[in-house]
Amino acid sequence: MSAIAQGKAAVIVPPLAKSPGYWSGVWRRFKTDKVAVCAGLVVLAIILMAIFADYIAPADPTRSSMLRRLRPIGTPGYPLGADELGRDMLSRLIHGARLSLFMGVVPVFIAFIIGSVIGVAAGFFGGKFNTITMRTVDVFYAFPSVLLAIALSGALGAGITNSLLSLTIVFIPPIARIAESVTTQVRSMDYVEAARASGANAITIIRVHVLGNVLGPIFVYATSLISVSMILASGLSFLGLGTKPPTPEWGLMLNTLRTAIYVQPWVAALPGAAIFITSISFNLLSDGLRSAMDVKG
Amino acid sequence: MAHDKVDATHHQTHPDRGGAGTPLLQAKTLTKHFPLGGGAVVRAVDGVDFAVMKGETLGVVGESGCGKSTTARVVMQLIPQDKGEMLFDGEIVGGQALTLKEYRRQAQMVFQDSYASLNPRLTVEDSIAFGPTVHGVSKANAILKARDLLERVGLDPARFAARYPHELSGGQRQRVNIARALALGPRLVILDEAVSALDKSVEAQVLNLLADLREEFGLTYIFISHDLNVVRFISDRVMVMYLGEVVEIGPVEELYGDPRHPYTRALLSAMPSMDPDNRTMEAPLAGDPPNPINPPEGCRFHPRCPQAQTVCAKVKPVLATVGEGARQVACHMQVPGSGHSHAPALEVAA
Amino acid sequence: MSTGKNTGTSTPLVEIENLTVRFRGVQTVHAVNGVSLTLEPGQVLGILGESGSGKSVTLKTLLRLLPESRTDIGGGVRVDGRDVLALNPQDLADYRGAVTSMIFQDPALALDPVYTVGQQIAEAIIRHESISAKAAMARALELLELVRIPSPERRLKAYPHEMSGGMRQRAMIALALAARPKLLLADEPTTALDATVQIQILLLLRQLQRDLGMGMLFVTHDIGVAVEVSDRLAVMYAGQIVETGTVRELIRDPQHPYTRGLLAANLHGAKKGERLEAIPGAPPALTEPPSACSFAPRCKHAQDRCRAALPPVVQLGEGRVVRCILAEQALTAAA
Repeated sequence: MSAIAQGKAAVIVPPLAKSPGYWSGVWRRFKTDKVAVCAGLVVLAIILMAIFADYIAPADPTRSSMLRRLRPIGTPGYPLGADELGRDMLSRLIHGARLSLFMGVVPVFIAFIIGSVIGVAAGFFGGKFNTITMRTVDVFYAFPSVLLAIALSGALGAGITNSLLSLTIVFIPPIARIAESVTTQVRSMDYVEAARASGANAITIIRVHVLGNVLGPIFVYATSLISVSMILASGLSFLGLGTKPPTPEWGLMLNTLRTAIYVQPWVAALPGAAIFITSISFNLLSDGLRSAMDVKG
Repeated sequence: MAHDKVDATHHQTHPDRGGAGTPLLQAKTLTKHFPLGGGAVVRAVDGVDFAVMKGETLGVVGESGCGKSTTARVVMQLIPQDKGEMLFDGEIVGGQALTLKEYRRQAQMVFQDSYASLNPRLTVEDSIAFGPTVHGVSKANAILKARDLLERVGLDPARFAARYPHELSGGQRQRVNIARALALGPRLVILDEAVSALDKSVEAQVLNLLADLREEFGLTYIFISHDLNVVRFISDRVMVMYLGEVVEIGPVEELYGDPRHPYTRALLSAMPSMDPDNRTMEAPLAGDPPNPINPPEGCRFHPRCPQAQTVCAKVKPVLATVGEGARQVACHMQVPGSGHSHAPALEVAA
Repeated sequence: MSTGKNTGTSTPLVEIENLTVRFRGVQTVHAVNGVSLTLEPGQVLGILGESGSGKSVTLKTLLRLLPESRTDIGGGVRVDGRDVLALNPQDLADYRGAVTSMIFQDPALALDPVYTVGQQIAEAIIRHESISAKAAMARALELLELVRIPSPERRLKAYPHEMSGGMRQRAMIALALAARPKLLLADEPTTALDATVQIQILLLLRQLQRDLGMGMLFVTHDIGVAVEVSDRLAVMYAGQIVETGTVRELIRDPQHPYTRGLLAANLHGAKKGERLEAIPGAPPALTEPPSACSFAPRCKHAQDRCRAALPPVVQLGEGRVVRCILAEQALTAAA
């Protein structure tokens, strides 16, 4: 051990085989959870479907035909039927995944970043700062999310950007709440005390000791919000506050097809089924992640 | 041993200012109160005075609520004191000559819970190397130092450096925590129940290690424990606390052999006898230690003290030197003319 | 003293025969590996061991407290003539509390926070005896007096959180004694207590055990505590009893290297500057049943034989057993 060089010349640290870390343990446990793995595969398939919609979709999702309105499932050329304007349902569902996923993931992602910053800061610094921040957050949290989303979208006006904005605002409070509670827990751990005792400043402690231990749980919680976001976005579109026709979007499709519920109930239910399958897959995936990450060691 | 001292991977030893015979740390009327709702106040530490000499181990004993852990955290400056000050090698802690950041290089702490005191997402060597990098050591040098320290605390770096805390046993984790505390080259290490959570057989190994490291690095320890056997083994002097105050300080064997404060006596006789033929027949004290929210007037121990008299309920005894000067006791029975019938007679002034 | 001989003819209160306990899971844990012990009525056996030694698991099998769905239990457990492992649910409910009762390290496990102490004790009495609520409450008051809780009338109406730690421990003991058990199981009941309170509870348990003539199994990691309450001691390591004997025999003349190490590690009377005879290493993980001496990897006397086969069970005298080849060698040398 005395052979270790002191000089300012390049110090060579002999590499050591890292033992399998925390994440490999998470992956190992996740793999054994069949439900979560299936849900993950479904999510993956939907994402791929959205990305490659142009190649997969058999027809142009906006091409209408007055002659082929409301065809049942299985019609030649229309494997999943046709909607009220004679557009191919399969193609519309495939293309609709893009916007629906987008509206599910993006607001949650932005809210994840903003909410984490708010929550981690409030949790770490505590005291009055915490009280003021979290009470402000609570004001928004007090509204039912559906109501808040509708109110914000209504005030901002219809359109994708405004839906996105209002959904982001809706999701910041719950994420900030979770971030705050996880951070408060971590902050009281002795390793944070030990880091303070070694003279590290708040930013360093947050970067090295706090973020690594709080982002995981916050992220898991955020994934469970994706399904909520998708449903809310669909709801906004359904109410005419989101996407504008003829853009395919599952919520909007559900809206425009509702008049056809007695004529072609199966076709009319398809967008709802797509929303249901996607959101439940995201939920099961996030449940699986949660339990895989929950185990000590 | 001598060549170890010059080993470059260890301490850029901090210059000694006051000389060997001076205290490394002096705490003067340290006070920490925690307000509860409704005007109630927990008097966790209430005017504590003590000194730790260079190279010695000061044991701190007392029951729950006596303020020993709060004292540790105030000494480490993890929580600021309400009143009082600390001098480290003659300089005011947090003053101009000794900033808080600089003080924290020289004083370090080991906690009781070996798992909670290591970041679960960092490898062992990263945890140890964190402190030095905060103080400007390059990452590579800090890692080398971490591996060297692992070796010194008895963990083979090739096997342990890249592991995560959950892969280690309690004893191994506590060794890592000790290495982490030593990484900054401190002069004072505060051990807050650092061996209490370990199994007995492992505890003995860690105690041996602590004794070796003290020798090797010339460390000064503040050793906090509820286990009187362990404190006796490791300490040079012992400080007994009760309800946020110091009731007695003295050299370990004198204090264990001839406890002067009734509470010290009670604590010592509450120890298991380890003798099947002479089992303890009577509990020295009744009831639980009271909580420090509304401590009694006068001597805080008087409601439980078998020898309490009226003066004890009225006048707070001060910590005063008794006998040849090495012992300090806060009890009216030790002070001539205190009004307690057991007090020594007043010496007639010439 | 020949107390062992005198009571030796009566039927033992507890007879554990070659008990094995295995927890199934991601990794199987062999928690108890062939434990045999007996307890005479009115005696106290201290079970001494470190975390993971199987001492608490052994205790819990006596009340069938282990999760049955993922636990495999082998061997025999008899308490007061009953085959505990074969009890049907109704008999088990009658057995728990009335024949065997348990106190824990943390009273929160035993005391319900939403009922007063009096209600809980009275309820425990009514569960086993046909007695009026009023009479049960009167008995509860007697029990609180028995465990010497100050101002018991007031405490009868107190909730657990309104009591101090030592008082809660006393209340839990009163609750455990509610149905006059013949056997009291104590699982580290004083570990979380302060020193001056610990000795009060130990003295109380010792006196109650003697006055009520109960048998007691007292599990602890603290050798000093074990000496204070026990008549006999059993030292456990890696799911096996490595040494048994009277307290005197174990303290004055420990035979197993692990017992000796534990005694040294207690630091009783150790002076500053001495070097401790520390046992190196850490206990094994118990993922497999032992096929050799479990202590051999940490033992400075270990020989090839220790690592090759299970150590012999050496009978040194009435109730004095050591699982170590050293004891065997000493025995043959003396013979």
